[in-house]
Amino acid sequence: MRPWLSTARGALPFVVLVAAWAAVSGAGVMPAMFLPGPGDVARTGWEMAKDGSLWVNIGASLGRVLLGVVISVPMAVAAGIVVGLNRRLASVLEPVASFFNALSGIAWLPLAITWFGLGWASVTFILWNTIFFLVFFNTLVGVRTVPRIFEQAVRTLGGARRHVILQVLLPGAMPSIVTGLRMSIGFGWRALIAAEMIATTTGLGFLIFNAQNFHQTDAILAGIITIGILWLLTDRLVLQPLERWTIERWGLVSSS
Amino acid sequence: MSRRETAVTWVVLLAAFLAAWSLASATLPVPPYFLPPPTAVAAAFVDLVAKGILPVYVMESLGRILLAAAVALVIAVPLGLLLGMSRGVADFMYPILNFFQSVSGIAWLPLMLVWFGFGEKTILIAVNYTVIFPVLFNALLGVRSVPRIYVNALRTLGGSRWRIVRDVMIPGALPNIATGMRLGLAYGWRALIAAEMLVGANGLGFMIFSAQSFHLTARIMLGMAVIGALWLLLDYFVLRPVEAATIARWGLVQR
Amino acid sequence: MLKILRHRTVLFLLVAAVLWGSWQTYLAVSAPRRLDPALKEALARQPLVNVAVTLGFAPEDFHIRLFQGYGVVSGVRGTTILLNRVAREDVRRIARYYWVRSIAAR
Repeated sequence: MRPWLSTARGALPFVVLVAAWAAVSGAGVMPAMFLPGPGDVARTGWEMAKDGSLWVNIGASLGRVLLGVVISVPMAVAAGIVVGLNRRLASVLEPVASFFNALSGIAWLPLAITWFGLGWASVTFILWNTIFFLVFFNTLVGVRTVPRIFEQAVRTLGGARRHVILQVLLPGAMPSIVTGLRMSIGFGWRALIAAEMIATTTGLGFLIFNAQNFHQTDAILAGIITIGILWLLTDRLVLQPLERWTIERWGLVSSS
Repeated sequence: MSRRETAVTWVVLLAAFLAAWSLASATLPVPPYFLPPPTAVAAAFVDLVAKGILPVYVMESLGRILLAAAVALVIAVPLGLLLGMSRGVADFMYPILNFFQSVSGIAWLPLMLVWFGFGEKTILIAVNYTVIFPVLFNALLGVRSVPRIYVNALRTLGGSRWRIVRDVMIPGALPNIATGMRLGLAYGWRALIAAEMLVGANGLGFMIFSAQSFHLTARIMLGMAVIGALWLLLDYFVLRPVEAATIARWGLVQR
Repeated sequence: MLKILRHRTVLFLLVAAVLWGSWQTYLAVSAPRRLDPALKEALARQPLVNVAVTLGFAPEDFHIRLFQGYGVVSGVRGTTILLNRVAREDVRRIARYYWVRSIAAR
């Protein structure tokens, strides 16, 4: 009974929202083309699902995110640990990483297009650099804030460098790394949608931008709703639990 | 680590980076427009300023983001505080605000293009939307996170509703509001660049995007550096200090 | 609370304001020097004038579009843009651009 009730309570605001939407669009305040009602949008969404175009575009967008994560996270964590081991290098590269962080995302698109042309390579590059710099920065900060006493303890017990890395630094930095991952996928998802509007012919961003060309507002709204739902699902079902588990498992009580 | 050591490391790293870049630029088997050397980027800076182009684009982009910040402060903060004060309303609005926050303003851009066409209004709506929702959401969270004990304490001392709002709820929510502004503007600055690229009339986003069609890569790199530098200035000199100050002054222990 | 602010944010905003103010002053002061005397006379006589705006460089797309907001662009000769039907106020606005060398009557 309980989970059913809380789901219902969570869904109520959206039910009200959709009802309000139906009321506004049905009232005829604006021409139907400008604000199609929930029924039209649902119907269009259903048709896009049936003819496959919705799934192809969802797959393209999610695939790019996955590719970006798989390529950039190992590189970023490895680089962050290597740099974090050297105090001098770390304190100098921290502001540099911060700068590239500030720059990340869509601002790289014209350069990416110059190098890779239009298409999935440019878009994935954007995703790569958004995720890489933030995770690198967070790994760096995470490694630096692991209290030295843990490192010294392992060394005292006769541990080699790799033991220090694998058993102290990496777990100690994990909460920071996973937070960085979550934030960077948030930024990355947004940059992805924007990049798909400009530089490719597949993906959810392209779907809604293309629909705009033909003034197909129902398709646009269906796409927007899909984007929102996908992000919420990813965040709630994957990223937040991961973050929570990491902090429970490895979060240090005394970390700043 | 002494200041001297830091400075020396900086200089060495910077010199090495510039040298590597220049070398790559001169030797890689790619067309010349692929990787202009650092000197070309510096020349592009001088050129764009001498021609009055860069300052205009910078002002246009800055103006838009500052306007969005002002709108968020004036509309989203009070609205968020108001919505947060009633438990029922806050619980109701939470999922809706969360949903709208996840859909960036850029995703709404195609709809805005249908409604308003390729103009200033479209850009402004997309950017303002992007900034407003994180601020609204965080203001609401901020009010909800004020422990009831403070509210009750003031009530016991005979405080009126207005006093409670002014002396407990608003200060208590300020750290969250500062964080919300910082997050909203971070998203908003990026959305602005994207919107300027898509609507294609003016601004830094337009500058770097149109430079690409003429293969003026040095201008692209220069534009990117300016975009990053402007955000860093804003974040380092305004947003982060304000956030830290509100936490120091009004942050609650459980943060 | 104000300790951090006193040092970083306020200082930054103050410096920015001072720089901004002095720049605007410079622009306002240097503007009239860019108009040639014949133009000043013509401005006194007619509401709309035709001008030749000389820059220090060959104009780009950016400049053409900018000037289209002030009048009708009738041609570009090297570093000079020919602009028709420019209002008095707009001539003053054009004169404020630091990258404009001179404005002459036609």
